[in-house]
Amino acid sequence: MHASFPVEERDILIPGRERETNQQIPGDPSIWVFVIGEMVAFSCYFAAYMWDRGQHHGLFLQAQRDLSQNVAALNTLVLLASSLFIALSVHATRAGDFAIASRFLTLGGTCGAAFVVSKAFEWSSKLAQGLTLGSNAFFMHYYMLTGVHLFHVLLGLVFLGILWRELNKGSPPRARLMEVGATYWHMVDFLWIIIFPLLYLMR
Amino acid sequence: MTGTSTAAARRLRATKVPVLTKTRNLDQWICWWSIPIFYSVFGLVFVYLTRLMPPPSPGHTTEQIISFIQLNATHLQIGIVVLSLSLGLASLSSGIIVVQMRRMQGVSPALAYAYLAALAVAALPGCLFCGFMFALAAFRPDRDPRLIVLLYDMGLLSFVGSLGCFVVQYMVFAIAIFLDEREIFPKWLGYMSIWGVVTELLAIPIWIFRSGPYAWNGLISFYLGTIIFVVWEFCLVVCLYKAIKAQPIDESLQGDDSLAIAR
Amino acid sequence: MNTTDQRICLWLVPAFGALLLLAFCIFPGFFPPLSPTLSAEEVAAFYRNHVGQIRASMIICNVCGVAFIPFFMVIVVQMQRMANPSRAFAYSYLSAAASGATLFALANLAWLIAAFRPERDPQLTMMLNDLAWMAFITPVGFILAQNLCLALGIYLDARPHPVFPRWVGHFNLATALLMTPGAFALMFMTGPLAWDGALAFWLRIGTYALYLGVMFFVVRAAINRQASEEGAAA
Repeated sequence: MHASFPVEERDILIPGRERETNQQIPGDPSIWVFVIGEMVAFSCYFAAYMWDRGQHHGLFLQAQRDLSQNVAALNTLVLLASSLFIALSVHATRAGDFAIASRFLTLGGTCGAAFVVSKAFEWSSKLAQGLTLGSNAFFMHYYMLTGVHLFHVLLGLVFLGILWRELNKGSPPRARLMEVGATYWHMVDFLWIIIFPLLYLMR
Repeated sequence: MTGTSTAAARRLRATKVPVLTKTRNLDQWICWWSIPIFYSVFGLVFVYLTRLMPPPSPGHTTEQIISFIQLNATHLQIGIVVLSLSLGLASLSSGIIVVQMRRMQGVSPALAYAYLAALAVAALPGCLFCGFMFALAAFRPDRDPRLIVLLYDMGLLSFVGSLGCFVVQYMVFAIAIFLDEREIFPKWLGYMSIWGVVTELLAIPIWIFRSGPYAWNGLISFYLGTIIFVVWEFCLVVCLYKAIKAQPIDESLQGDDSLAIAR
Repeated sequence: MNTTDQRICLWLVPAFGALLLLAFCIFPGFFPPLSPTLSAEEVAAFYRNHVGQIRASMIICNVCGVAFIPFFMVIVVQMQRMANPSRAFAYSYLSAAASGATLFALANLAWLIAAFRPERDPQLTMMLNDLAWMAFITPVGFILAQNLCLALGIYLDARPHPVFPRWVGHFNLATALLMTPGAFALMFMTGPLAWDGALAFWLRIGTYALYLGVMFFVVRAAINRQASEEGAAA
C-alpha cells in the first residue's frame, strides 16, 4: 500500500539523524482538537458528578467507603508508569533507536493492559457485592466515569498496537504518528489523574 | 474500487458522453442539500411540533404524561405526519457519504456499505418507531392510561436509547477516515466520530434511570449527546462540501466502462 | 455483466406478488378495510372470529414481505449503469428500500402478535391493531425517497440510450405524490384520509400495486437492452 500524498521528508526518520523540529506543536493539530474536546466533555461529566455529590453528600461519603483506595492508587501508579514508558518510546524514536522504542512501547502497553485487568477485577468485586449501575447515585457516576475512561484506555491500546506496527514494519517510522499516539495516551492518563481523587479520595 | 485503472480511466476520458447540466456533480449536490433540509425539518418536527426534544421527563406521573400528550395532540400528530413524509430524505445523505467514502484509498468499500446499512437500520428503531408510539398515544384520547404510559416509554426509550446502529455508523466512519490515504475527510473528523461513539455509551444509563444526568432527558445522556451530535453533523456537512468541491473532474462517472466499449 | 441473476430477481416480483395478493384477499380486514372507529371490544371480536384467516394471511406476508428487495436491488444495479456524475442516487435508493422494508415487517409483526392471543385484554389488542395499520399505511417517506432518487437518476442520465426512458421518471414522481395522503392516516379516524379511507387506503395500495406491475415491465425492458448492448459489444 503506497502513500498517494506527498510524504514530507522530515517525517521519515533516518537512523542516527535527529528529526528537524521546525514544528511548533508535537503530533497533529487534529489530535489536539480531539484532546481539547475530550477535556471539555469530561469536564461536563465531572461537573455533573460534583453537582450530585453536593446534593447527596452523605450518601456519596458512605458509598465511597465501598471503594478500595489502595487498588486505585496502584492503578494510578501503573498508568503513570505506562505514560513514562510511552514518553521514553517517543524519545527513543526521535533518536533513531527503533528497537529500544519498540520495547518501551511494549512495556507501556503492558501497563495499560494491567490497568484494564485491574479495572475488570475491581468491577467484578463490586458487582459481586451487589453494587451495580443502578444501586445509587454515587455508583451511577462511578461506573459511568470509570467506564467511559476504560473505553478510552481500550481505544488507546488499539492505537499503541498501531504504533508498535509502525515501529516494527521495517521502514523508518513516521514521527508524527508516534507523537499523535503518545499524546492520546497521555491524555488518557491525565483523565485518570483527575478521576482518581474525585471518586476515591475526596471526602 | 473508485480509482479506475489507467487504461480504463483513459477510455473514460476519451468517451464523449454529453454532460446534461452545467453544474458538475449535480447529483452529489442534490444529496448534499438534502442534509441541511432534512435536519431543518427534523428540528421543526422534534423541537417545535412534537416537543420531544428536549424530551419530557421519565419521572412524570401518569397524569402528567397524559396531559403532555393531550395538550399537544394536534401538533404532535402533524409533526409525525411530516416525519413520515420526510424521513426518506435521510437516505440521500447516506448515498452521498458512500460516494465519498468509496473515493478513499486504502479502504475497502465494506466500510462505506456498513455505514449505509447501519443508518438504514437506524431509521425505524431510532426514529420512526418513536413517532408511531406517540401517534398511537395521541390517536385515541380514551385509551387506557397505563397503555399511554407504556407508549410514552416505548417512544422515548427507543428514540434516545437506540445505540448500536449509531455506534456502528460512527465507528466505521472513523476507521475509514483514519485508514484513508487520500484524506477525503480531515483526520479531526475521525476523532470527532469517536466522540460520537462515546455519546452512545453515555446514553447507556437511560435504560436504568428515571432522573438525574443519565436519564433520557439528562444533562449528560441527552443534552451533551445532542450538542456533540449537532456539532458533528455540522462539521460533516462542511467537510462533505469541501470533498465534493475538491473532487477532480476525471473522477465523475459518466456511465460504466461498457459504455466506452460500446462506442 | 451477466443478466441471468437480474432476471431471476425480476421474476420474484410476480411469483411473490401473487402470494402477497392472495394474502391480501384472505386477510379479513382489507375488504372492506377495518375501521379505526371500532371499539376495543369490536376489534378484539374481529381477531377472535377470524383468527385463522388473519394468521394465514399474515404468515404469508411475513415470509414474502421482503421479497421485493432483490427487485429493488436490480433497479440499483441499473441505476449504476446510468451516466450520472456519481452513484449517489443508486446508494440512496438502496438505503431507502432497506428502511422501507423494515416498516412492512413491523406492521406484519403487529398483526400477528395481536392474533397470537385473541383472549388478550381488548385494549392491548386494539393498540397492536392500531400499530399495525399505522405502520402499514403511514410511512410513505421511504417510497417517496426511492422514487425521487430513481426519477432524479433518470433525469440526469446522460447516456445517448438512457437506461430507463424519461417517462419512467415522471411515473415514479407521480406515484410517490399519489401515495402521500397515506401519511395523514395517523390523524384521522374517519373520512378519506383515515386508514380505511379512499385516499389513504385504496389510492395508496392501488397505486403501489400498479407501480410494481409497471416497473416489472420497465425493468425487464432495461435488462433486455443491457443484454443486447453487451452482446453487441462482445
